[in-house]
Amino acid sequence: MDERELIARVRAGDGAAERTLYDAHVDRVYRLAYRLAGDDDLAREFTQDTFVRAFERLASFRGEAKLSTWLHAIATSVVLNGLRKVKRFHRREADLDDAAGVAAGRRAAEPDLKRRLAQAIDDLPHGYRTVFVMHDVEGYTHEEIGASLGVETGTSKAQLSRARARLREALADFAGEWAS
Amino acid sequence: MTDERFERVLRDAAQDYHRPPATPREEMWRQIVAAREARRRRRVMLRPRLRWGVGIAAVLALGVAIGRWTATAGGPARAPIGPSTVGPSDLAYRLAAAQYLTRAEALLTGFRAETRGAEPTAQFATQARELLSTTRLMLDSPAGQDLRLKALLEDLELVLAQIAQLPATTDREEIQMINQGLEHRSVLLRLRTANPAGPGSVRTQGAL
Repeated sequence: MDERELIARVRAGDGAAERTLYDAHVDRVYRLAYRLAGDDDLAREFTQDTFVRAFERLASFRGEAKLSTWLHAIATSVVLNGLRKVKRFHRREADLDDAAGVAAGRRAAEPDLKRRLAQAIDDLPHGYRTVFVMHDVEGYTHEEIGASLGVETGTSKAQLSRARARLREALADFAGEWAS
Repeated sequence: MTDERFERVLRDAAQDYHRPPATPREEMWRQIVAAREARRRRRVMLRPRLRWGVGIAAVLALGVAIGRWTATAGGPARAPIGPSTVGPSDLAYRLAAAQYLTRAEALLTGFRAETRGAEPTAQFATQARELLSTTRLMLDSPAGQDLRLKALLEDLELVLAQIAQLPATTDREEIQMINQGLEHRSVLLRLRTANPAGPGSVRTQGAL
């Protein structure tokens, strides 16, 4: 069944088509919600809300963009508004003092790098963090990010570049270790 | 570290950032089905009220239009309309106004009760928006010349505008502020006084 036919069947109230649409997109929506929320309950809530809204608004979907793009625009809006509303950003504990004691080789440094990186990502401004997670973590293209967030692809690229620069700065003490 | 190498390291390490578990497909699907069913039931319940809203607005609009027409026709200036000066020709307006006040009271009572334990649903905002336009018509109608009713309508306008804005800005503080405003200005008490409960003929014995 192609996308157009699937949408027509969902609009006509076909429950099986609704489930097919859900199955086709739920993984990506849930993954993004989880990556941004860092919390299973919130990720579930955001994913559910995304699909409830999508089914309600499908009648107004004009097919100018791909269904996945339209759905991800709803998802990012739900997640970002939800995070703003509940103000529950999950920050991992980062003991910066430990970093000074880590002078071992690559293997020993890796868990600390990841912990420090997680903290640094959490500390990014919301816009940078969203673009970084979507592009570098979840593999969205700049076109998809631009369509989802309602910004130009150039803005998405610029925000990713600034996000990486901030992360590089935050992880500067790892530079020597990873240079070779 | 070169840019390219840094980006590669960054991307690899970032894969562990908030790594999601397996998608709980079935549980979420059950919740989605239940949420949609609940919304559908609520919509069915609200539909008759919507029809009332349109009717009330139409009657008030007619009342305002007649009022404006008679004012521009050069007739003698009308005295402010208070509880004792409403004539029988205003019956349609009075009935519409009574229905409007009943709906406003029901909305605010429901809002106050629901927001004690949970966040309000979007339906409150939708109803508040409908009532808000009726409130503006009321302020333009003979009711707007009754000082007591005018003050009540202005307070109602403010509260309804706050509730109508809620979907975009919902947070507990905002809801608390609305409820405090309701208490502080005794909006519900004044509404009940203006529009006492009871059959039609009794209802219009308040401020109307």
